[in-house]
Amino acid sequence: MTRWSFRRPSFWQLVFAVILGVGLYSTVVRFTGGLGASTALSDAFPWGLWVGFDVLCGVALAAGGFTLSAVVYIFNIERFRPIIRPTILTAFLGYVLVIVALLFDLGRPYRIWHPLVMWNPHSVMFEVAWCVMLYTTVLALEFSPMVFERLRLERPLRILHALTVPLVILGVILSTLHQSSLGSLYLIVPEKLHPLWYSPLLPVFFFISAIALGCAMTIFESFLSYRAFRKRLEIDLLADLGKVIVVTLAVYLVLKVQDLAGRGVLSRVVEPTYEGRMFLAEMLLGVIGPILLLSLRRIRTDHFGLFVSAVLVVLGFIMNRLNVSITGMEASSGVSYFPSWTELSVTLMIVALGFALFGAAAKYLPVFPERERLPAPTLVEPPAVAVLRRPWIGTTPLVLILGGLFFIGAMGSAYSGLQHRERALAAAPPTSEESEPEIADGLERFEVPPDVTFPQGEASPGPVTFRHASHLNWERPNCTICHHEPFRMLKAFGSVASPPARDLHDERHCGRCHDGRTSFSVKEECTACHRP
Amino acid sequence: MGDKKGLLFDATLCIGCGACYEACKERNQLPRTAAHFLEDRLSDQTYTVVKRRGGRFVRQLCMHCEVPTCVSVCPVGALEKTATGPVIYHEARCIGCRYCMLACPFGIPKYEWRKILPRVRKCDLCADRLAAGRPTACAEVCPTGATRFGDRQALIEEARARIRAHPQKYVPRIYGLEEVGGTSVLLLSDVPFERLGYRTDLLSEPLPLLTWQVLQKIPNFVVVGSVLLGGIWWITNRRREVQLREHQQREVREPSASESADPSHEEP
Repeated sequence: MTRWSFRRPSFWQLVFAVILGVGLYSTVVRFTGGLGASTALSDAFPWGLWVGFDVLCGVALAAGGFTLSAVVYIFNIERFRPIIRPTILTAFLGYVLVIVALLFDLGRPYRIWHPLVMWNPHSVMFEVAWCVMLYTTVLALEFSPMVFERLRLERPLRILHALTVPLVILGVILSTLHQSSLGSLYLIVPEKLHPLWYSPLLPVFFFISAIALGCAMTIFESFLSYRAFRKRLEIDLLADLGKVIVVTLAVYLVLKVQDLAGRGVLSRVVEPTYEGRMFLAEMLLGVIGPILLLSLRRIRTDHFGLFVSAVLVVLGFIMNRLNVSITGMEASSGVSYFPSWTELSVTLMIVALGFALFGAAAKYLPVFPERERLPAPTLVEPPAVAVLRRPWIGTTPLVLILGGLFFIGAMGSAYSGLQHRERALAAAPPTSEESEPEIADGLERFEVPPDVTFPQGEASPGPVTFRHASHLNWERPNCTICHHEPFRMLKAFGSVASPPARDLHDERHCGRCHDGRTSFSVKEECTACHRP
Repeated sequence: MGDKKGLLFDATLCIGCGACYEACKERNQLPRTAAHFLEDRLSDQTYTVVKRRGGRFVRQLCMHCEVPTCVSVCPVGALEKTATGPVIYHEARCIGCRYCMLACPFGIPKYEWRKILPRVRKCDLCADRLAAGRPTACAEVCPTGATRFGDRQALIEEARARIRAHPQKYVPRIYGLEEVGGTSVLLLSDVPFERLGYRTDLLSEPLPLLTWQVLQKIPNFVVVGSVLLGGIWWITNRRREVQLREHQQREVREPSASESADPSHEEP
């Protein structure tokens, strides 16, 4: 292992320290002030960034784990073995961090274990909870050989090795359930989620996109490892993953178009609205751009091209998950949500922790294959084809142009979407009070409550009989003027805790209106109320 | 089925006196939250409000759905639909995921955002009073009969009778009869319900069916998926073993450096 951390300038460590510091401060704010003090969430918008990014994206970005372990262990495609360990590590860390994020987001985090013993199989959230718990366990077991190898513990290694295939099968099943169930969460809000995203196929879309996203994350993190730890880059394998991404995204795109057309909302994609523009951005960035880039062999087999394409997929689907959880829910909620700095800094801290833990694991554990394998087969083309395919432009500029085009297009679309939202918010008419409500029918049936006689107190000129009828504004009766705490409602609550007689004169009781301004004062005309 | 209780709110009879609002506050011992009750909105400290909408006064409160979305989405069963109608909250179970708030088609559950240990808050249809054979506080104090308490079935009959008696007055529809599978709180009005702030685009079947259609497939999926994946592994593994053996036999004949595809973990 190289001591990269000492050789590198401490710029990234400094950044990490700052992120961690701010994040820890936000953590204190969150757990001492509550969700209201630390988030921009509200009754109208109960799920924000911590659900939309930390949980939905966190799980989706960990999807490489089940995809690659299925490829290697179940389909026995051995070529991919060299990149399986970093992928499993990513998935494991992803899930651990999702649980950390949940501890922030749950109102009662110390009850996170409740779904274990309090069951409701009708709840998608119940399914999600069980999938998180079980799959994190499976990932821990799949990850543990790296630790055992480091510690040279042979026995547990043998046991785990014998369990590999059943574990992988369990992991794939759980992942499939979990990825799709995050989409199913939103099946229950057909009247709230914007039709561009609400679909009976939500679970299918979440699952398919998770596969593409998992592959893209594998490529992304291979490149980071290659840069940071000088790990060997299995470019041929990654190029194959690029192909998988193209096919998966193509299936996704076809299904998406069919689904939108089937529900009759295809035209809303190009409508100049907040949602339409954000949807377009997500599709350009995560689906159409990467399909085009990765279909070109030159780009797929090029370091830079592959990396840029993977980043596009990751950004596109982060946007997709945020669109489902935030953009698509805003209109129906009647409020616009933007995360507070506390939410942002906690999220940033969790992401930074992910990078740091990955770095530490890569440094101390056998994550990357040490043994050099045979040289990767180079891509050999027949000379004639090579001549025909002589590039008219270098691959790097091509990637920059195409990738940049899609990125700028998507950002432009998102920006235009935000402009539309601003305009829509500005154009929304202020909720003005409407015409005075019609109450004639009600007044006809109005049963005036009975009179109340207060007994004569000491030194009182006489008992008081309160008449509801003479204390009512018959144009607009309002019971709440007197009937808050001091004057309890007899009819509903059986007994009136009659306040001591002298208190009745004070400004909380009769004296409130009988003050000489609204009505005659309690201090003057005693016999107006006290009738001997 | 005479034991299922409910409320019937008739917007034509409401005079906006705020008695229901105040009675609810009193029964639940909630603090004042607005200078004037008509300016208040539902919150963790206000379980019912009266609003001016569409030239009428209209109440807003938990509808106590027949098949409640909130009950179905709660992962720990903290919300429960009781046999007599009320949808009640078991605070000790709640983990605070707020899925009920996201899912409720009427936007009713509210959260104690300001508290360190927050709870979900909403109208519980005075479940304790119902158990004692008494009507809800809001219905008991209503001076005009705009809010009526009774057996849900009897209230439906009553509502139908009112529509029959004044066909030219009422919108010929009982809100809550079919909305999301029916609700314990029923509404009558002489102006369109959407003008009162009530959504009329809700599905008529219970929303929990939307997720149950997917959830009920899980056991089958797990069994079929495991068998399928196990089978694929069996086939591909067998094929690889055969290839390995052929490879080894060839190596015996013409030894050459070749990659051994050891299925086990790499040696450290």
